[in-house]
Amino acid sequence: MKSISMLLGGVALAGLAGLSATTAAEAAGPTCKDGVIRLGAVSTITGPADFSEVPEAAAAVFDAVNAKGGLNGCKIEYTISDDKADPAVAAQAARDLIDNKEVVALVGSGSLLDCAVNATTYKRKGVLSVQGLGVDAACFNAPSVAPVNVGPYTLSTAMAYYATNQLKAEKVCAFFIIIGGTQEAYKGAIETWEKITGKKIHLLDMTLPFQGDLTPYVIKARDAGCDAVIQNAVEPGVVQWVKTADAQKITGINWLFLAPGYTQEVARALADSTQPVYVGTEWEPFTETGSAANKDWIATMTAAGKPLTAFSQGGYLAATVMLDVLSGINGEVTRESVTEALLTMQPKSYDLAGTPYVFGEGDRHAPMQATKVMKLEKGTWTVETPEWVVLPSAN
Amino acid sequence: MNALLTSAVAGLTAAGAYALLGVCAVFTYRLVAVVNFTGAAIGTAGTFSMIGFISLGVPLWPAVVLGILVGTLAGALIGLVMTQWFSEATATTKAAVTAALLVGLVALGLRLTGGQSPQEFPTLFPGSAFRLAGVEVTVASVLTVVLALVFTLLADAFLNRTRTGLHLRALSERPMAAELLGVRVRILALLVWAVTGAFTTFALMIIAPQRSPDFMSLSLLVVPALAAALVGAFRSFPLALAGGLTIGIVEGMSSAIDGISQYRGILPFFVILAVLLWSQRGARWDEAR
Repeated sequence: MKSISMLLGGVALAGLAGLSATTAAEAAGPTCKDGVIRLGAVSTITGPADFSEVPEAAAAVFDAVNAKGGLNGCKIEYTISDDKADPAVAAQAARDLIDNKEVVALVGSGSLLDCAVNATTYKRKGVLSVQGLGVDAACFNAPSVAPVNVGPYTLSTAMAYYATNQLKAEKVCAFFIIIGGTQEAYKGAIETWEKITGKKIHLLDMTLPFQGDLTPYVIKARDAGCDAVIQNAVEPGVVQWVKTADAQKITGINWLFLAPGYTQEVARALADSTQPVYVGTEWEPFTETGSAANKDWIATMTAAGKPLTAFSQGGYLAATVMLDVLSGINGEVTRESVTEALLTMQPKSYDLAGTPYVFGEGDRHAPMQATKVMKLEKGTWTVETPEWVVLPSAN
Repeated sequence: MNALLTSAVAGLTAAGAYALLGVCAVFTYRLVAVVNFTGAAIGTAGTFSMIGFISLGVPLWPAVVLGILVGTLAGALIGLVMTQWFSEATATTKAAVTAALLVGLVALGLRLTGGQSPQEFPTLFPGSAFRLAGVEVTVASVLTVVLALVFTLLADAFLNRTRTGLHLRALSERPMAAELLGVRVRILALLVWAVTGAFTTFALMIIAPQRSPDFMSLSLLVVPALAAALVGAFRSFPLALAGGLTIGIVEGMSSAIDGISQYRGILPFFVILAVLLWSQRGARWDEAR
């Protein structure tokens, strides 16, 4: 047994030697001082939401790289900090990663408030964040953060665009739950759609309650004559909205939700509903386990024993982007060289996403502009748009 | 005007629930002298147990019965805590204890039921009863109003016409004196907690499919319920019933008025504040004189 593993080890070493020989011939590749590259993530793990699947998927990617000897011989040391959805804790977590752990970049964060709290700190310290799951508006409006997900605002525009373009909706309505300072961002999302399509929103209601009875709102949508309704609720809200529409015997309205509604639990809870329910995805639909675009993500997550969810796609993609950027660095990997590489990178396409990812310079970043639309049919999600729905530029 | 009527009818769904839970809150207060913040959470625990049993393969109605049993037990358990350690405490302390218990129950419930993940609640009474002003009034919402009404009448009759009712009133007013007179205080109090546990569980089972299907949202139905109870000054069942219905209907109507609709979530608090101010007016004016 021992001799077999030694033999395998020998083969692997020979392979690695061959690999480094070829890369050395072309370029020096990334190097590191203590044999490690330090990366970190600030994520909401405990508190009102749990986004731990995002950084843990990134960790799985880095673990796999480390198991193969690291990136050009450098092991990746990845620290996940829990911000507990508390601004003070989030600020402390970021400082600890930057000052004490000396991370060269942040990658695979998924948090309710990391961007809002820490984006300026990242800017000031010259450290950039490839966010795995941008949630709050600041993630898409800061020079120091560029998420790998589409985000709720661009996705709202995309779903409205899909409603007019493919569902041929004439009276598009939108009902948004506004939490914190998201009102302007949702308003902007609808304005962008108006610019792209030249149409006017039929009804825009930004007073949807997070909790409470939804009957009056569903009735309002019906009485206004909406033929498509965009709504931004998270899972329980989606279920409640559709059940209320069922109870009110409403027909002829397409209900369009954002990525948080795209889960197996929602599909199961709405198995009996006959309402036309659509959701936009942030990446290649995670329920399509046979899809070629999902193949490597599934293999990596399965090997690491991680769940196959949309969140884990975000962490996986952020880590993959970071590895590509790091691989392109010739010389020592430092905070400065990583920041430089991210700012000057060329757009790079990934099978998981519909538009290429780029960090780049600029005051705000929303590189992901495409979605695939899923339709609910008898308790399962089916792909409604095999091709990506890509938002055209608003200009 | 028509839109206002439509949204008022739409508010009926919530109104029945508020009224029913409000009447339950008055019941607990009048019999064991506790402002009970855990009411809806106890019902939620029973309701989630029901779907737990269903997922284990228990058929619907036996699962309903088992769920109600769990709710009854949860009610009795909270009652045990209250009678064991806080029977001699002031009303304020008791209320604070149940508020703390609510936070604990919600945290535990969220952990056990998968946080914000939606659950599939079976609709016990499906379909709509009738259509009014363009709104389908569901069988469930009619049922909640009817149940609230029945509970109001029964509770009134029970308290005023029966010997046990009399004992219970004595118990809530002067527990020590009642005990000295030979009333079996502990058992009676536990019985009240158990009965309200069973009743709120059944109420929550009817309401749950129309609400946000997670533990926290359902448990927080206690806020409009207590607002309704306060309208009845925690004494009058008919007034609490009317209060619950009014809060629901006003909440529905407010969603049709653009300037107000974004504040509709705070309506129960507004009602609480208004009632408190109104009830205190005499004292203030007397002091001023």
